[in-house]
Amino acid sequence: MFQLDLKSRTSIYEQIVDNIKELILSGVLRAEDKLPSVRELSKTLTVNPNTTQKAYRELEYQGFVYTVSGLGTFVAERVAEKIDPKRLEELKEEAGRLVRELLFLGLGEREIRALFEDVLLERGVLS
Amino acid sequence: MIKVEGVNKKFDGFQALQDLDLNVKKGSIYGLVGTNGAGKTTIIKHVTGVLLQDTGTIEIEGEPVYENIGIKSRMGYIPDDLFFFSPYNIRESSRFFKSVYPNWNEERYEQMVKRFDLSEKGKLSKFSKGMQKQAAFILTMSSMPEYLILDEPIDGLDPIIRKLVWKYVIEDVAERDMTVLVSSHNLREMEGICDSIGILSKGRMMIERDLDELKSDIHKIQVAFESKPDGAYQGLNVLHQENRGTVDLLIVRNKREVVEDIIKKNKPLVFDLLPLSLEEIFIYELGGGDSEIESIIF
Repeated sequence: MFQLDLKSRTSIYEQIVDNIKELILSGVLRAEDKLPSVRELSKTLTVNPNTTQKAYRELEYQGFVYTVSGLGTFVAERVAEKIDPKRLEELKEEAGRLVRELLFLGLGEREIRALFEDVLLERGVLS
Repeated sequence: MIKVEGVNKKFDGFQALQDLDLNVKKGSIYGLVGTNGAGKTTIIKHVTGVLLQDTGTIEIEGEPVYENIGIKSRMGYIPDDLFFFSPYNIRESSRFFKSVYPNWNEERYEQMVKRFDLSEKGKLSKFSKGMQKQAAFILTMSSMPEYLILDEPIDGLDPIIRKLVWKYVIEDVAERDMTVLVSSHNLREMEGICDSIGILSKGRMMIERDLDELKSDIHKIQVAFESKPDGAYQGLNVLHQENRGTVDLLIVRNKREVVEDIIKKNKPLVFDLLPLSLEEIFIYELGGGDSEIESIIF
């Protein structure tokens, strides 16, 4: 499903959370899709089951998945109000940093605007 | 659940263990790390009931371990210094294990011998160090332990076999809720496997915590200011600080949010916050203040 980077400074549990989020956001995993069980995923990735469990709990807390006891963990329908404000702040900051870097590299307003519009088009937000 | 409380042990006047506490939750993989001579092997020999402590208690599921056959038959232990009956090959050794461990799983033994591709004919005493470790691992895992105690298990094993060893360990933790206590110097590998960490130093437990909690509490930060205001780092709890040109590198023990608040107040030009690896935590916690060690690391 995905690979972990043991050399990374990011903890294994955060890596699992990020990877699964990425799969959901990119549409590889759709709403109501079943995630592998904690056991299965731990075995495939050779990761401590307690760590996987924790990552699933975090994903559930952030509203990306939900668990039905006895049945497993499923991708949740996206609900807007569940967005973590702290995470939102982090991402805005990150986007700002990238724009500043693009400006530094000499890109103009039009090129940067086009970049944003491309993403919006791709997601169907802009037509 | 393994519970060690206030254990003391002296060897000929040398205090090997001092008021040592250690707690391993059921189904957890607990990594025991520490400098050479810190007492890792000694405490492991107590937890497995090989040695008897002078004072304190060592209990598994609420029962004292020493001379407790009921507990020991459900415990797998691979010591650092392996022992085999010298004329035995692995097949003959497996018969001995089968006679001792009631939960022996023949099917698993067969399957593991094939997976590890070990000769069943050669005498174990003639095997290389790495092959002996593999043989010990096969025999121990085939006894289906509920408690697995490993002293430097991956020492001397090649990367492919190491991966295979961890796969079996993870599988049993996931499927059977096996509890694991493992000591190692390979901190990078421990970081990927363990959920709890105990850091030993000079026979004492320095830190015993959930690994992610431990890591979320200590950070490496790089900061640069246009002009550094006085007391810019006040309240950070700085463990280590050094300057690289205009950039300051600090190791701080504090919550991420607190660090971010303090630093951002003064509008830094550069601000990076990185989590520390277990290796770095180990070094800062145990090598702190020792300028000789610090000069090697930074």
